[in-house]
Amino acid sequence: MLSKSAAKTFFLVGTGLCSVAFLLLTADTLARVPEQTHEENLTPEVRRGKDLWEAHNCMGCHTLLGEGAYYAPELTRVYERRGPEFIRSMLRDPESMYPGQRRMQRYDLSEQEIDDLVAFLRWIGEMDLNGFPPAPVLAASSSAPVARDEHRPPVFDQMCTACHSLGGRGGTVGPALDGVGDRYDAEWIDRWLHDPPAIKQGTAMPRLPLSDVQIRELTTYLSTLRARQDEEEAR
Amino acid sequence: MKYESQRVAWWFFATCMLLFTLQIVYGFIMAFAHAGHDVLHDWIPFHAARATHTNLLVMWLLCGFMGAAYYIVPEESQRELEWPKLAYLQLAALVTVGVTAIIGFHFDWWEGRKFLEIPRPLDYLVVVDVLMFIANIGVTIWKSERKTTTSMVLFFGLLMSALLYLPGMIPTASQTMDSYWRWWVVHLWVEGVWELIMGAILSYLLIKLTGVDREVIEKWLYVIVGLTFLSGILGTGHHYYFIGTPRYWLMIGGVFSALEPLAFLGMAAYAITMAKRGGRAHPNRTALAWTIGCSILSFVGAGFLGFAHTIPQVNLYTHGTLVTAMHGHMAFWGAYAMIVLAVIVHSLPMLTGRRLYDAPSATLAFWASNVGMIAMTLAFAVAGVTQVVLERRVGMEFLAVQREIEVHFWGLIMAASLFTLGIVAFVWNFIRHGRPVGQVEGVRSTLPVRGPAGRDIDALPAPAMRLYEGGE
Repeated sequence: MLSKSAAKTFFLVGTGLCSVAFLLLTADTLARVPEQTHEENLTPEVRRGKDLWEAHNCMGCHTLLGEGAYYAPELTRVYERRGPEFIRSMLRDPESMYPGQRRMQRYDLSEQEIDDLVAFLRWIGEMDLNGFPPAPVLAASSSAPVARDEHRPPVFDQMCTACHSLGGRGGTVGPALDGVGDRYDAEWIDRWLHDPPAIKQGTAMPRLPLSDVQIRELTTYLSTLRARQDEEEAR
Repeated sequence: MKYESQRVAWWFFATCMLLFTLQIVYGFIMAFAHAGHDVLHDWIPFHAARATHTNLLVMWLLCGFMGAAYYIVPEESQRELEWPKLAYLQLAALVTVGVTAIIGFHFDWWEGRKFLEIPRPLDYLVVVDVLMFIANIGVTIWKSERKTTTSMVLFFGLLMSALLYLPGMIPTASQTMDSYWRWWVVHLWVEGVWELIMGAILSYLLIKLTGVDREVIEKWLYVIVGLTFLSGILGTGHHYYFIGTPRYWLMIGGVFSALEPLAFLGMAAYAITMAKRGGRAHPNRTALAWTIGCSILSFVGAGFLGFAHTIPQVNLYTHGTLVTAMHGHMAFWGAYAMIVLAVIVHSLPMLTGRRLYDAPSATLAFWASNVGMIAMTLAFAVAGVTQVVLERRVGMEFLAVQREIEVHFWGLIMAASLFTLGIVAFVWNFIRHGRPVGQVEGVRSTLPVRGPAGRDIDALPAPAMRLYEGGE
């Protein structure tokens, strides 16, 4: 049977070998990380953004690179997913984008600070993360109308889908947008996108940071969302 | 109690009780927020509650480890602590730093890095404090004739914990490297050197409680801490899968964290075998229950659940979800909270001279807290797996998924209430034992020493009593 000194040797040798291997791998990782994370893009803005990220303990609710708390959305790919304007208006006034939802702290950040945070999130979003976050493989309608629609403006995916769904994908804060073209005409949609509270008092829909061009694109697109037409196309 | 200076341990344990209670309060704040009742948002926002909850955990566990060391080291090295007064000063300093940090969290003063939220200026004070502790313990062991494996492993574990706090302070502009060094602290603590501390305390308790030969127990202690480092050091890789580090970490982290359960399985097998082999009926059955329970639940929580969620193919989906919270809760409870509670249950009668260990409330404390924690883990598991499927597989929006799983947090709150009942019973027992006025061995206690239900302690069978007093 194993003796105490043999057990001691096992402990010391095993620990020693593993520690050495870990140190060597660390050295190699240190050499490779700059390329994998595009460290050349670590501008002063990004660095300030990281400092702000830490100063306000954003990780205490959100996750970034999958690390943090699990109370608020994962932000690794948020720049790509929501776009800079959405992030900016969220940071200016968290309540404006998701009224009545799980609440975010209001920070009274300056425009410079908001830009820094956006730069930081953009830099994070460009990293090679070995396949994280994974694509939602079971997404029922990923091949349905939403994906193959060529006329869909990018801002629809960034802003509208945060609260509304189309073809079963997207948020559930606002009503689904399937067939919205049947219910409203282009003129009404245009007015609505410009200023929702002016049309319906107390609505949960905020006045989004949209340019006139974007509103025009969205109006055109939303007007084409007709249930009947979809059915015909399907036939 | 054999040495006067062991008494200092009681103050560390009392601090544990206080901080642990506070940790549970903050846990409830978070659970209610998750269930849709973020009523304290304006005063204690979620990120403040979260930082407080986790840092209190680290604080009370470290306090417990230090208390355990102050209790165990004099007995193992057969001499008084070198500087008993320094130990009190060190506790006072630790509490001051901790309280300052926790109040600071509520005023946006922190480092904002998960688990290492303590602000940088306080970090330096923590280092000084821990150096005081290490010096006290170190010199006591150094000057002693008797250097047991148990005390050496305990000392080495505590020393390495202190040293490994330093990589967390390396300044870096890159989020990736920031995480890289942060895990040197957190992972290498939790799945490395803290396991040495746990192994050493377990070994001490088994020597005292089972009466199995020290040589046998200490031999297996080497094997177990050997397995811990063999798997745990390179197992750090499971934190490096998706943070912007090279792809080879997926393989290295995957293989070595798959080995991590071995150390915990070893720990469980070891505790159970030794308890069976011991055969001597030790009167403090509750202490043995906590000791064995610790080894089993650490295997389930840290070993099995850790394994299930660190396989790279699974972790791709579970990384950064409530599944992590599931694993975290049972792992910390089983491995570290229970070992601290075990050492408290074991030493309290000796420190206070009151032997109240087989009171019904002590049994209630054990069962309610353990069943409660298992139920909490299940609630997290259902919520976590649902989140993974809906968010990462089906592609639903984060907030929509959170509304779907709100109901599971009511389950969590129910389970946590049962857990809290157990902890309240535990704290009640701690209070009932009173202050550390027990006499050093050889001097008969002047206090009326009564067992549960008024049973006189002297009515206990003499051999059992001798075993309890004598230890080995």
